[in-house]
Amino acid sequence: MSEQSQSTQIQNAPSASEDCSYRHLYVVIEHDDGKPVPVSLEMLGEARRQMDIFNAKYSSNEKVVAVVLGNNVRNLCEEMIYYGADAVIYAASPELQYSRNLVDTKVISKIARNADLTRNFSPEYADSFKKPRYMFFAADSIGRHLSSTVMAELESGLASDINKLVISDLDIRHEHKTKGQTIRYEKTLEMYRPDFSGFLWTTILCLDNRNPVAPKEFHPQSCSIIPGVFEPLGRDTSRKGSIVDYTPEFGEHDLAVKVLGRQVIKSVVDFESHKAVISFGRGIKESPEENIKLVAELADELDAAVGISLPISKKPYPVSEATSSTYMIPDRVIGTSGRKVAPMLYIAVGISGAVQHIVGMKESGFVIAINPDEEAPIRGECDMFIKGRMEEVVPLLVQELKKQRPAMQVSNR
Amino acid sequence: MIGMRSLNVAVIVKLEPDFSEGNVSYNADGTLNRAETKSILGPHSAIASLAAFYSKVRYGARITVGTMGPPIADAALQQAQMLCDADELHLYSDRLFAGADTLATAETLKAGISKMQGGIEGMDLVFSGHRASDGETGQTGPQTAWKLGFPFLGNVIDYNLDLERRTIRAKRLISLQGFYDIVEEIEAPLPAFVSVDPSYQPNFNTVSQRLALGRYRKEAAERSSNYKQYLKVFNAQQMGVDPKLVGLPGSPTIVYKVEKIPKAKASRKSEVIDGANPEHIRLAAAKIHEILSGAVVK
Amino acid sequence: MVERFDAVIIGGGSAGLAALKQLANQGKQAVLIEAGTSPGTKNVSGGILYSKKPKDGKVYNVEDVYGQDFLSDAPFERMITKYMLHATSKDKIFSIDLTAAHHYQANYGCSVLMNKLNSWFAKEAGQSAEKQGGGIVSGVHVRSIGWKSNEESIAIIETDELEPFEAKAVIAADGVNSEVAELTQARDKFSPHQLYQGVKVIVKLPEQIMEERFGIEYDSGAAHLFAGDVTLNHIGGGFVYTNRDSLSAGVVYHYDSLMRNPSEPHTLVDTLLQNPMVSEFIKDEVAVKQEIDKNLPKEEQLRIQFAVSKLIKTWGELRHAYYSANGRKGLIESGKYKSDEDIRARVESIKQELESKYSTRFVTDYVELEYSAKIIPDGKRCAMRQPYYKNILFVGDAAGRGIFIGPRIEGINVGIDDAARAAESVARAIDRNVFSEDYLGQYYSQSLEASPYTKDMREIDKDYLKIFLDAAKEVPRDIIGQRYGMVLKLMSSGTLRGLAIGFANILGFERLLPLVESEETYVQVPIELADRLGKQVTSTYNPSIPTVAQRIAKLKYNDDRISHIKVLDPQSDFMKKMVKLCPTNCYSLEDQSVVLQHEACVECGTCAKETDWHHPRGEMGVSYQYG
Repeated sequence: MSEQSQSTQIQNAPSASEDCSYRHLYVVIEHDDGKPVPVSLEMLGEARRQMDIFNAKYSSNEKVVAVVLGNNVRNLCEEMIYYGADAVIYAASPELQYSRNLVDTKVISKIARNADLTRNFSPEYADSFKKPRYMFFAADSIGRHLSSTVMAELESGLASDINKLVISDLDIRHEHKTKGQTIRYEKTLEMYRPDFSGFLWTTILCLDNRNPVAPKEFHPQSCSIIPGVFEPLGRDTSRKGSIVDYTPEFGEHDLAVKVLGRQVIKSVVDFESHKAVISFGRGIKESPEENIKLVAELADELDAAVGISLPISKKPYPVSEATSSTYMIPDRVIGTSGRKVAPMLYIAVGISGAVQHIVGMKESGFVIAINPDEEAPIRGECDMFIKGRMEEVVPLLVQELKKQRPAMQVSNR
Repeated sequence: MIGMRSLNVAVIVKLEPDFSEGNVSYNADGTLNRAETKSILGPHSAIASLAAFYSKVRYGARITVGTMGPPIADAALQQAQMLCDADELHLYSDRLFAGADTLATAETLKAGISKMQGGIEGMDLVFSGHRASDGETGQTGPQTAWKLGFPFLGNVIDYNLDLERRTIRAKRLISLQGFYDIVEEIEAPLPAFVSVDPSYQPNFNTVSQRLALGRYRKEAAERSSNYKQYLKVFNAQQMGVDPKLVGLPGSPTIVYKVEKIPKAKASRKSEVIDGANPEHIRLAAAKIHEILSGAVVK
Repeated sequence: MVERFDAVIIGGGSAGLAALKQLANQGKQAVLIEAGTSPGTKNVSGGILYSKKPKDGKVYNVEDVYGQDFLSDAPFERMITKYMLHATSKDKIFSIDLTAAHHYQANYGCSVLMNKLNSWFAKEAGQSAEKQGGGIVSGVHVRSIGWKSNEESIAIIETDELEPFEAKAVIAADGVNSEVAELTQARDKFSPHQLYQGVKVIVKLPEQIMEERFGIEYDSGAAHLFAGDVTLNHIGGGFVYTNRDSLSAGVVYHYDSLMRNPSEPHTLVDTLLQNPMVSEFIKDEVAVKQEIDKNLPKEEQLRIQFAVSKLIKTWGELRHAYYSANGRKGLIESGKYKSDEDIRARVESIKQELESKYSTRFVTDYVELEYSAKIIPDGKRCAMRQPYYKNILFVGDAAGRGIFIGPRIEGINVGIDDAARAAESVARAIDRNVFSEDYLGQYYSQSLEASPYTKDMREIDKDYLKIFLDAAKEVPRDIIGQRYGMVLKLMSSGTLRGLAIGFANILGFERLLPLVESEETYVQVPIELADRLGKQVTSTYNPSIPTVAQRIAKLKYNDDRISHIKVLDPQSDFMKKMVKLCPTNCYSLEDQSVVLQHEACVECGTCAKETDWHHPRGEMGVSYQYG
């Protein structure tokens, strides 16, 4: 470690003994009745990568620990290991079937403070274990709140909506934390959160107070992670790990909130889980039925979701009932009076680019327009403008995409 | 409602930069120019105020709006009063509170709520917004709830109270990004802490309720034009907070650095491709594969 | 339990609000249901509001309903003191002073903007109504009306937003496209020959620049009417009215004439704006942004964009205030500026900064604030003969009641008069607790019969006609003579005039109308007048007129995903004409079929005749800020 040469000038932290009280990275898993929410796998993937680096760098053996609350979801626990967890702490109870902030906070906080649970997968650190070193939550409508209340209970700090993480040793000089002295904080989690403007990254640190006036530890260092940012690991059934059962006990107040009912609102169209969205508009008009089929074929080739511009939802063209009820529905409308999408790739076929439509897709990564009219407003809203009639361009494009497909897959390996 | 205890409601709000077009101003590096941008009641705070207002129109609640901030934050209180016809406005303002992260802010707000009518024991419902738009991230609400010991109900899109049983029945919108959306109906005893989903819209569905709504709105407009009459300002000492738990000393987190996010996304200057030229189409197909393989990260 | 109210008024325009106020004045409980977010947001008018002084009979004027507060609070724009008619042909204009016609039997006539006016009415009426346990409920759209099977006089009102409720008496003030009338089939939908289409733009103009340009003072105003080539061969004309610090410029054309020879409504208003006299009326100093260099870093582009927008906004606001005595006073009182000169210097320095730093140019152009459209009922052709149904009374536009005689267009004051009569009828019914057609409806109908306005809708007023003849004295007889020789002869002496009009009135207004309301009157004669006698007027610039799309983009909408209009026959001739006649281009033609995109609809009702037409649900659709 080249940095050590400098550390002689730096007042070393009086925390070497404390450091061993905080071990492992706990990942709070979200799932729907045993089916993991994608961000859970993404968090595990990132946790695995971080802890592999961490253990190599610090010659330690700290674990990625998935925390699962649920009812009859042991299968999920195994899956967590396949996706990168070293161990799973599983709190099973009918009371935990659905996420409820109050009781979940109680259970997770107790798990976080329970050294015995760690003995099973990390006996060497169990005796001195007080709390996890790091903790990950999902930055979604459950995790955002859960992370907040758990940290309020554990009296530690939290950064939300993180999209980049680095663990490093940092020399910190802070008016209060270090009383103006430079102190090295080892194994610090740098939590990057994109600023509201979208221009800036703010790095948040959760640091112990090493100010002699009011020393205080703040662990775990925790964050909530934006879904869709980190890559999950591939599922690997050869991964091994232990599942530790934890039997939660509840006080009466813990169960004060009752779930009376749950109603799933499933949109027919799932734009969010596709990397690409293909939308069509009035440009299909010359032969609507055939042209919609062309769009469907292109979407199929790219595993893309299909969207439409508003006029299409008014069913302006005669098509078969099947086509009409599949595609010409309000649920597919992208724009002000419909959905807003932000796929990596957006292809607008025969869409002129009315403002109302642009609002719904302007956040997309790369935009391709297929349109015969170079003067159409969509021209100024796309990265690539393929000039031509969709009847001619789309078949050519599909053919070419198919041709290039194997080559791309090989080069990806 | 004779013999029934009145309903004490608190709303926690925040003064935020106005991000609407024409009002927001940016520095040369693209960061927010706070000096030039005027501040308003945050949009989520506004929704929380509306949710509290519902409890006034439907259940005759007594409302106190509280905020932590510099003296100018009273503007947020005034705007909130306009929305919820608040009976009292609280400003928690002290240099000691400066630099607080969410945990330390929650500590201050808890102390603030203890100063409201009836104290923490007499409080029935606390509302907060979903999140602030200028950096804080929806943590303050749940953390304040936890410190108060109130059950936290997040993402609430609709609620009603049973004043006899002293319970709240609420609908929550749980949205797990692209995975599923669920509307969950829950019941909790009062007191409770409610964070309101941005899609919350109070629903008044009889003519009489609407007429009452009109009357309270008018009262709200009158009150907020004399808001100082309803305003109480508290400093740390008056609130009896432990200085170790608020401001910088009470904050586990710090902002370590701020940097520009490297821009990957090009502006949309379209490259025109001839749809009849097979070579062009070949290039287009290659580009599509490149994007979808993740070579270009958003 | 279903809530029940003595009186429910449907529609919060100036007629509905007057009914509410008048009921409250008589100590009665009434609830007014308005679909817009607040009263005034759905209303458009030309607009001049008159207070009338009829030679026979009595009308309820605005100050009879609201008291003298109307004049002291002044929710109106300007008292109109100058009233001119201009015959146009290309760059030539022949002007006739019609101030006498404006003053005819009038206490006064003032320019108004409906949002401000109705907001004030709503404040006054709402306060009074609250004291009687009623009030205004906005954002609620009435969907249906039924009656209790056992109690004929209890109406059950269903809305899109609220639990159903009951009313003993209903006043339908829901406008020219009255859904209440349609639901009850109390009358047929109006047809093109009974209607006019009005399209208007509000033009921003600093107060004192306007006063100098129009030769008016702080407490006076001008109205200018236009006929001739600006009509593009339609029956009707254009107008420019001075508001406090804006102009209302618009056109009103007979719907039949638009059907015969379809012209796009915005083209008609654009033609008016391009007339040199009108161009000169509306002109102002306008800042034009320099294109931002696209090669600059994106953040820099953004920064410049914000800086320039903000400076231009400040410059515009400050300049606008500078040209108003009240504006300057306010700025000095705020402590930000010491003197008028101080303000002027600041305006100038911002302008210089914009010019030197950002290459902003300052040019002569005009600033449009709002585009709007409305269908206007021609009372002489469509006033309801029986303006009631069961316990519902129809007032104002909903009853098809408006005065439309040459340049005399009066709607607001007619609606207020109707409303006061309806309120009185309902109050009487409440007192006796009898809400039958006989007791309520017929009484109201008789009261309307006694209204001088009803007479105006049925008969030619010879005194009003004489004013025109006098005003046109200087017009050479041969121009008018060719066409109206016979009429002129009859009208030239008092005795003959009396006889002729008596005879005409026996024949019936309706049969005479095609003679007078003709292209001759509105197009050919004015053109000839202008060509032969007109003075040349030139304009120094070409106004850059926004497209319909740009105009729509400026309007405030609350989009409803569900369309409030359904096309019944997408292939009908009528619907095909809507492609042209819809003021906001909501219709397009696809493969011989008419397709509707309702998002830009301003709810004028131009297409109502042959569509399944409803007002949007509560708070949905367009919200006018001027109106």
